[in-house]
Amino acid sequence: MKKPYKPLGMAAGGIVCLVLMAVGAMLQYAVGPVRWDMLAWPVNAMLLLVLLLGLALMHLLRGNVRFFRWMSSLQAAVPAMVMCAMMTMLLGVTRQVPSGHPATDPFGITAMLSFWPFVLAYLWLTTLVGMVCLTRLRPAWQNVPFLLNHLGLFIALVAGALGSADVQTLRMMVQEGKAENRAVSRQHRVHELPFSIKLHDFSIEERPALSYMSDVTVETKSGETLRDTIRVNKPLSVRGWKIYQYSYDQSQGAVSDISIFELVRDPWLPFVYLGIFMMLAGAGYLFFQSGSLLKKERRDAVITKQRHNVITK
Amino acid sequence: MDNWNDFWLFAVSALICWAVAALFSLRGGRRGFVCLLTTVGLLIFGSYIALMWLSLERPPLRTMGETRLWYSFFLPLVGLITYSRWHYRWVLSFSTLLSAVFICINITRPEIHDKMLMPALQSPWFAPHVIIYMFAYATTGVAALLSLWQLCKKQDHLPAIDNLTRVGLSFLTIGMLFGALWAKEAWGTYWSWDPKETWAAATWLCYLIYVHQRRCCPASVNAALAWQIVCFLCLQMCWWGINYLPSAQGVSVHTY
Repeated sequence: MKKPYKPLGMAAGGIVCLVLMAVGAMLQYAVGPVRWDMLAWPVNAMLLLVLLLGLALMHLLRGNVRFFRWMSSLQAAVPAMVMCAMMTMLLGVTRQVPSGHPATDPFGITAMLSFWPFVLAYLWLTTLVGMVCLTRLRPAWQNVPFLLNHLGLFIALVAGALGSADVQTLRMMVQEGKAENRAVSRQHRVHELPFSIKLHDFSIEERPALSYMSDVTVETKSGETLRDTIRVNKPLSVRGWKIYQYSYDQSQGAVSDISIFELVRDPWLPFVYLGIFMMLAGAGYLFFQSGSLLKKERRDAVITKQRHNVITK
Repeated sequence: MDNWNDFWLFAVSALICWAVAALFSLRGGRRGFVCLLTTVGLLIFGSYIALMWLSLERPPLRTMGETRLWYSFFLPLVGLITYSRWHYRWVLSFSTLLSAVFICINITRPEIHDKMLMPALQSPWFAPHVIIYMFAYATTGVAALLSLWQLCKKQDHLPAIDNLTRVGLSFLTIGMLFGALWAKEAWGTYWSWDPKETWAAATWLCYLIYVHQRRCCPASVNAALAWQIVCFLCLQMCWWGINYLPSAQGVSVHTY
């Protein structure tokens, strides 16, 4: 017969968080800041596999290991969220160096996104969210809103973090009447693209509202062509790339014959969107559910009042 | 209506409606009359926003003054919803008072800005994103007031606080995710840890903590009420605090 264990509580959550912070500080000191660029494909896919297998294993062993069982509890979740909130506030009050630059302070908090304690805090929270999702991963109606919120967050966080190394952001400068198929990365490396952009006309509109736009033809390597207008807030999608109106030759102003585009490729984006839309549905449910909870509360209140009246009479 | 010249006229008449309704509800007046009068005030104030929207040819959501306008509109609205559901007699006085503060700021410091919207803000996402956030701010604002009231007066408002927080949290979530979807369309990244985004995430986490803490330890009421105040302070940082935060100067696309 199993001994009845005293359940691990909130204090255990606090201790785990403190340990994580200490480990994070040591890692920061020992190996330097987190190298997100090293996660590029296929490393991120392997890490995803390790994470999912780890979660599944811990879930299977939850009957035997008290700690794994505790990981899907509220007592574990609250301290983890407090730790993440505190790290996020710390990020909010420290001036950050531009992304990709080394920190300017001795600890590394001016490059918070690569600061080990920050990353470990969110990793821990993500792990706990993953664990609790596994306990509710059964087909039952009451699990649906729960999974929309929690699994949605898990998918968005994991895909966003692991996918960040695969995001390519390039700048391309095109002159009116010319076609271009090379673009430059933030590290000033030249990339050749599987399509070219020909700029017919760049123009600035001041009425009804300030806006600038480029009339372009995109030609892919296989010879397909696509003519469209790219403006701010209206990017063009071609072969997994999104082409954004980024800037123009500002020294020439409105008569600029040069348009600058930003090209973004983010292969993990569909998963992030899946997570975001799940969370949106979950939030919508939360809103409507608070109305029905209310009715229940009212009913309970009426019953209590009636009982009270009976007693006092 | 390009400027704020006629604002005081609409604002004062709306405020009179709200104040009379609040007084009636304090004295236990007829609920129907209180709701009707508050609604009339909302209609007056809402028509000013609508006229301003039409004359600006863009949603009036760009400047701090314009967001205060929405806030002073949503506060009595949330007050009205809370009143009609939970029948707190004093909640309308609170929401009216708070709304009056924001109206006064707008009357004395009307920040007049030009009609132009920067290109990135000309998006169908703009209006829902900010309006949803303003509604969330108003809802959580009332929840924070109720918490303060309960901390001081020891009356039980927890069911109302919990529900308002749930509603506020769902709107914060929707506002934040709309922001992410919009940012992807406008800048190519859905999340860039801009100071406003960072504080929005911190605020969201704080309200998540509240909701989970209420489930986990329903007995520690005072901790929950105090945490509600922390959440609200965090929200203020996200809304306007970052405009004064040294770390956010010149790096946020959200400071204006």
